Order: sequence, then C-alpha cells, then structure tokens
Amino acid sequence: MQYFISQIVNGLCQGSIYALMAIGYSVIVGVVGFVTFTHGEVIIMGAFAAYYAFEFVGSMNLPLGILAAFVASWLVGIFVYKVCYERFFKAPRHIALICTIAVSILLKNLMQIVFGAARKPMINVIDNKIYTMGPVQISRLQIVIILTVVVLSLLLLFIFKKTRWGVSLRAISQDKSAAALIGINVKRDAMVGNCIGSGLAGVAGLLIAMSYAILYPSMGSTFGMKAFTASVLGGLTSVPLAAVGGMCIGLVENIGITVTSATYRDIFAFVFLIIILLIRPQGFASKKGGRP
Amino acid sequence: MEMLKVQNLSVNYGYITALTNASIEVDQGEIITLIGSNGAGKTTMLMSISNLVQKNQGQIFFKEKNISRMPSHKIVKNGLCHVPEGRKIFPALTVYENLWLGTIGNQNIKKKDVQELVEKQYDLFPRLKERRNQGGGSLSGGEQQMLAIARGLMMDPDLIMLDEPSLGLAPIVVEEIFELILKIRDTGKTVLLIEQNAAMALSIADRGYVLQNGRIALQGKGIELLHNEDVKRLYLGADD
Repeated sequence: MQYFISQIVNGLCQGSIYALMAIGYSVIVGVVGFVTFTHGEVIIMGAFAAYYAFEFVGSMNLPLGILAAFVASWLVGIFVYKVCYERFFKAPRHIALICTIAVSILLKNLMQIVFGAARKPMINVIDNKIYTMGPVQISRLQIVIILTVVVLSLLLLFIFKKTRWGVSLRAISQDKSAAALIGINVKRDAMVGNCIGSGLAGVAGLLIAMSYAILYPSMGSTFGMKAFTASVLGGLTSVPLAAVGGMCIGLVENIGITVTSATYRDIFAFVFLIIILLIRPQGFASKKGGRP
Repeated sequence: MEMLKVQNLSVNYGYITALTNASIEVDQGEIITLIGSNGAGKTTMLMSISNLVQKNQGQIFFKEKNISRMPSHKIVKNGLCHVPEGRKIFPALTVYENLWLGTIGNQNIKKKDVQELVEKQYDLFPRLKERRNQGGGSLSGGEQQMLAIARGLMMDPDLIMLDEPSLGLAPIVVEEIFELILKIRDTGKTVLLIEQNAAMALSIADRGYVLQNGRIALQGKGIELLHNEDVKRLYLGADD
C-alpha cells in the first residue's frame, strides 16, 4: 500500500513533466500547423543547456537552469522552424513532417558528437529532503517540479487568454489566411509560437533529467513520443487537454509498474493511448463546438 | 481624393486567366461595387489587392502608395481592410476576442481605446453585444457576417473591402447588411463592395464596374448601370 501511494505521487510528478512537454507540443502543432518529430531532441537540448549552465556557473541555481534550458531550446526552435516549416507552408504536409524527422536525427547525432554519447549524472540542484504527511511521502525535488510546471502553465494560460498577442497566436492556429487579413504577421508569429513550445519542452527536459538524475543524448526520443501521445490524447491542438493527457500518462505508467517492473513503463503509456483511441478516436476533445 | 487605384491588373491561375487588364479606381467616401457572374474574377480582384494571389502584371496604389509587392499583413496596416468571402471569423475565439484582434491592423490604437471601439461596434450591431462571450463559431450566418464586418471596422480603416457580404443570408438580413454599408459610408469610410446581388449593390453604390470573364465590360454610375439594358438582361434577370 505504501508503495502504491508513493507511486501515485511519482506518477503525479512525472505526469506534470509529461504535461509540460505535451503543452509545448500542442502549442507547436496548433500555431505552426504541422506535426513535429524533433520534440524529443528539443527536450534533451534544454536539459543539456541547463547541465552546462550548472557546470560552468557552478551555482546551484534552479532559475538559472530553467532560463538556460528555455533559451537554448528557443534557439533550436528557430532552427527547426527555418529548416522544416518556413518554406513548406504551401507544400504537401508530409514534406515538413519528413523534414522534422531528418532534423531530429541530425540533432541527436550532433549532440552525441558534441556532448558525448555516454550517460552523465545530472547535477542535483535541489537537496533530497523528504516530507512525510501520513502515508504520503514527497521529496522536495518533486514539489519543485510540480510547482515549476504549474507556474509555467498558468503563465502560458495568462498569455493566451489575456494578451492580444496571445489571442492572435490562437487565431493563427484556427485560420492562417484570415489572420493575415487582419494584419497578423503570420510567419513571424508562427515562428515565435514554435519557439515558445520548444522552450517549454526544454524546461520539461531539465525537469525530467533532474528527476531521473541522468542525462544522455539519445534519451529524448521516448519523451518525444510521450509528448506526442499526450498531445494526441488531448486532440493535438488543445493545450489544456494535452496537459490532462500528460498527467494521465504519467499516472498510468507509474501505477502500471507497481504490478510489473519499471522496464515495462513505456508499454503502459502506449497501450493506454491505443485503448483510449479505440474508445474515443477524437481523444479527450469533445465533439460539440461550432456549427458545421 | 483617390483612395485606391488598380492599373492593368492581370492574374492567372495556372493556365486559366482570371483577370485581364482590369483597372478600377475608388475615390474617397464612395461606395464602389464590382458585380459579375460566378467566376468573373471579382474575388480575385480583392485577393490581388490584398496580395494573396500572385499578379502577372499590374500595379496597385493605395493612397498613392504602391502596395503591389507588400506582404498582406502590411497592406492591412496602411488602413485597407479586407473582409473575405465566407466571413472567416475565428470560430474558437469569443465574439469579444474576435473584435479585439481587429485592432491589430492599426498600430495607433491604444490599449485603453479598445473598449470604446468595441462599444461602438456593439452600437452598430446590437446582436453582437448579446453574444459577446459566445464562441464565434456558434453564431448564425448573419451574425457571423456582422462580426466579420465589425472586426474589420475595429481597425478604423480608410477603405473597407467587402467580399459578398450577402452570401447565403436570408433576404431580411441582407437588407440589414446593406443598410449597415450605407451607415459605414456615412462615417467617412470608403467601401469597395463585391456582390452577386447586383440589383441591391447597384442601388446603394455611387459607381459600379461590371466584370465579365476577367475584363471590365462596363462602368458607370450605380443608377445608370441599374437601368442599362445589358446589365438588366445579364445580371438583373429582366425578361425582354
């Protein structure tokens, strides 16, 4: 029972990281309009940026790491946008998609050359204090992770709901040509949207590396797929539902491994996706909405 | 003063010619209408003014500025508003958010002026006020058209181009929309109106152009065109 409860806590924590990845994914798919497969590499790029920021500055400063992760993956976002999307808005959709697969392979191998393929221990910037409340045990690191995700999500929500620029990003995701006709610079704003999504993914990468306390270039692909899965569960473009999807996957995984071994973690995530899609092909998204 | 001048415009879609050597002029404070049958090139004319399609030849001047090669979003910022065919409002944004985004087209609008502008549109379109927190996609066709026009007016444009505002609307709503167009002109704006409903459009227009197979076949005062035998026969459905 004790083990089960702590797995639920772990699931919530990991789910919140997946949620952040999925939020980033949905922002990208929504604003740019293309599915991306570079997300995993963007995630790990953020983690590496934070790793080196910790190492060079030497301070145990989490905000610095978050900033480094965000900025580095923002820059990668610009690169991905320039290579994969900018010239292909009017081309068939699979061209941009294949381009993102190519960039993903390129980034992964570049990271292996530059950072080395070996596993690195992630520097621990949060001390391992554990709080106990009755049967519930939660570590300080887990609290920090969940808080970071909540704060970033609320910030994004505020931007999307309360600033004109955020609302215009949502408009772009609905109708690009209409957006251009009311004076929105669609190409520039789509790039910024891509960068915001990438930046959030980078921060998620830092958090997942801290929670596993390990870091290596090829660990990204699984997380990229998890973000994709969570986002599909939420209907691909809905940011709040993608977050719900991420939470569900984190919980399902961690509850699932209470009955088996942690090696089978991914099976639970992807089987969960298949089951949900068999029951509700549209994911969590509801069918109601606008007139046809 | 000359507001908009289109000179010798030609547009091709692949091998199909959409416009050949079409020239129009719009003066300030006028309602100009462009009529023609399906496929005559009316929408293409507006799309090339907004630079959404590639031009083969021709120049477009707006307030004496050459906008032929300007990107669409910059053209809007010069004060030229295009309300596209099929309304194209943002279905998942609320009515208020749709209107709010309308202000992007004019950089001189301050944050504190937005509320005042929105109220102005609500006065013009009381139906939108009732539905201000509803999603744009949940409105009826007529309300969506009103929202599209209101969104265009939010940027306080000098020239507003309306592409088939009466498309698919009930006759009583069409009349409402045409009354609004007259009201818009009375606030000092210039209107370029594209219509299939030729009788209605010509009756409110100062001048009109008749497009036929991508060419300007006729032009003249609205009333004159309304009584022109050819126009009557071809577009107004009069039997001889």
